[in-house]
Amino acid sequence: MRDSYDAALHLLDRQVLDCDERLVCKVDDVELTVAADGSLVPTGLLAGLPALLPRFGPRLGAVMARTHASVHDVVAGGDAPDVVEMDLVDEIASAVHLTVPGAGLLRPREEVDAAAPERVRLGQLLGMPVTAPPEVGLHRSSRLLDVRITRVADGRGSVVDALVVGPGRPGALLGYDRRSESGPWLLADAVRWLHRHARVVEVGPEVEVDRDRGEVRVGPGASVSPLLG
Amino acid sequence: MKRYFAVLLGVLTAIGGFVDIGDLVTNAQVGARFGLSLAWVVVVGVIGICVFAEMSGRIAAVSGRATFDLVRERLGPRMGFLNLVGSMLVTLLTFIAEIGGIALALQLVSSVNHVLLVPFVAALVWIVLWRAKFSAIENVLGLLGLTLIGFAVALWQLGPDWGELAAGLSPAEKPGAESWAAYAYFAVALFGAAMTPYEVFFFSSGGVEERWTPKDLGVMRANVLIGFPLGGLLSISIAACATVVLMPEGIAVETLGQVGLPVAVALGKVGLAVVVLGFFAATFGAACETGLSTGYSLAQYFGFQWGKYVRTREAAGFHVILLVVTVLAAGVLLTGVDPIMVTEMSVIFSAVALPLTYFPILVVANDPDYLGEHRNGRFANLLGMVYLVIIVVAALAAVPLIIATSMGQG
Repeated sequence: MRDSYDAALHLLDRQVLDCDERLVCKVDDVELTVAADGSLVPTGLLAGLPALLPRFGPRLGAVMARTHASVHDVVAGGDAPDVVEMDLVDEIASAVHLTVPGAGLLRPREEVDAAAPERVRLGQLLGMPVTAPPEVGLHRSSRLLDVRITRVADGRGSVVDALVVGPGRPGALLGYDRRSESGPWLLADAVRWLHRHARVVEVGPEVEVDRDRGEVRVGPGASVSPLLG
Repeated sequence: MKRYFAVLLGVLTAIGGFVDIGDLVTNAQVGARFGLSLAWVVVVGVIGICVFAEMSGRIAAVSGRATFDLVRERLGPRMGFLNLVGSMLVTLLTFIAEIGGIALALQLVSSVNHVLLVPFVAALVWIVLWRAKFSAIENVLGLLGLTLIGFAVALWQLGPDWGELAAGLSPAEKPGAESWAAYAYFAVALFGAAMTPYEVFFFSSGGVEERWTPKDLGVMRANVLIGFPLGGLLSISIAACATVVLMPEGIAVETLGQVGLPVAVALGKVGLAVVVLGFFAATFGAACETGLSTGYSLAQYFGFQWGKYVRTREAAGFHVILLVVTVLAAGVLLTGVDPIMVTEMSVIFSAVALPLTYFPILVVANDPDYLGEHRNGRFANLLGMVYLVIIVVAALAAVPLIIATSMGQG
């Protein structure tokens, strides 16, 4: 598995394949668990309409998710998405490869006790407005566009260690944000110009993802670098 | 030897597979009304489908991902869904037109009204989609479709003044009675007929079905770069036949029988029988391709198992979709709607829907994450950008032209 990847770009909406190359599902969303130290750890791939529908936007998505849940109200936990544990992921390439066969794999997460850790979905975080004092140099209407996940040596496995922020909408970079050699030059140049204000903010004490108020606050001491070198 | 055979078979099926009901009807209509003054559009369209199919075939061979996987990955669930709905509607329209085309071809043989034949045709299409092997569908129907070469033979037999015919290739030779708006409308329709989106969904998903690997890139390119242009020549010979026989008589093409009329004039009953077999094979092949394409698109968007390379029960959802769309298409045709009119709508809306899938494919074809060393080179990108502009212009022009000319009447 690669050491570092951008979750929205490399993981979200990709096809999941089991160990026999059978198609399992799409990565409809990514489950992030809040660790004891407050860091965000990717713990599962979420699949199914309960994961997909909320991503259709705050208004339309909420209506669709509510409708889906009310249609399925006789199913216990019918509004909970299926989870594929992150430990089962073998490789993240042009598809997500698992180490196990797909039969019987998809089922909702059963929380064993009330003290279960707080879990959030990547889809809920993406698009959050980002506020920062002017000296940090972020564009005024910056939003959270992507999160960068890096492998760590401790028990967490991997962790969100940087945020990609900028004006615009998540996904609008079309994959042109990470590599310099991607052509066709005219198109790539246009997308790059549109996203000249995109920045990478390293996660640290100066960066707070406030899930209750739905915003990301970046303090003056945060480490910020341009996304497009 | 086996490899040459594979290339030959692929090229031959690509020729037969290129022509479908949209190409048959639109080329004959254009030939009868505008002569060969629109033949250049077929050339533009054929180069376009080569560029598009080569890129998506390459992505499928290297990464194993087909068109709608990429559409959703690049555009996200919301835009991807709009895209899916638009593309599905156009593919469904084409599917209806192809099934109607099969019924019309059988009507030419049996004189039984095509509406009565529709339930049987639809049932036959579904059984083939359900039971037949993927390679059998592609090879048998593709090879039978080659009987459409009858149009080229008929043109030669008609013995037109070749110099005059060649002089008619210039856009300036537009008949004076036709308006430029109608000319532009049919230019877009002909472009849509040559670059129907389902061809690419089918081509890239077919690559996954046939388990292409980077080793197959050469065979894939040969199929595209030889097969499609020869299919385009077949299209032009259909238009030329109509130009020679129908245009002087002022006959407008409104039925499938009129498409075959020049062949009957040139080669008699036997010739007509051969091309009617071609009509049947080409429309049947395209009906299978469009039917499968609806299943491919939906399954690839939602991520469940699709394809004929696994056992039917492993891709149960996919096969349910095939059944539902076939019933739906038969239901629409049973209302008595004219399949030729459905065809005219399907080709023009194909042009409208084309940018939806072309753009994400062009972006991914440049992504080293998917393609590594096989990503687009300078030449592929130059052509890719030129065609992005052409495709967007055609798509934007289509709806105003539909309104301005009442679908090509004016």
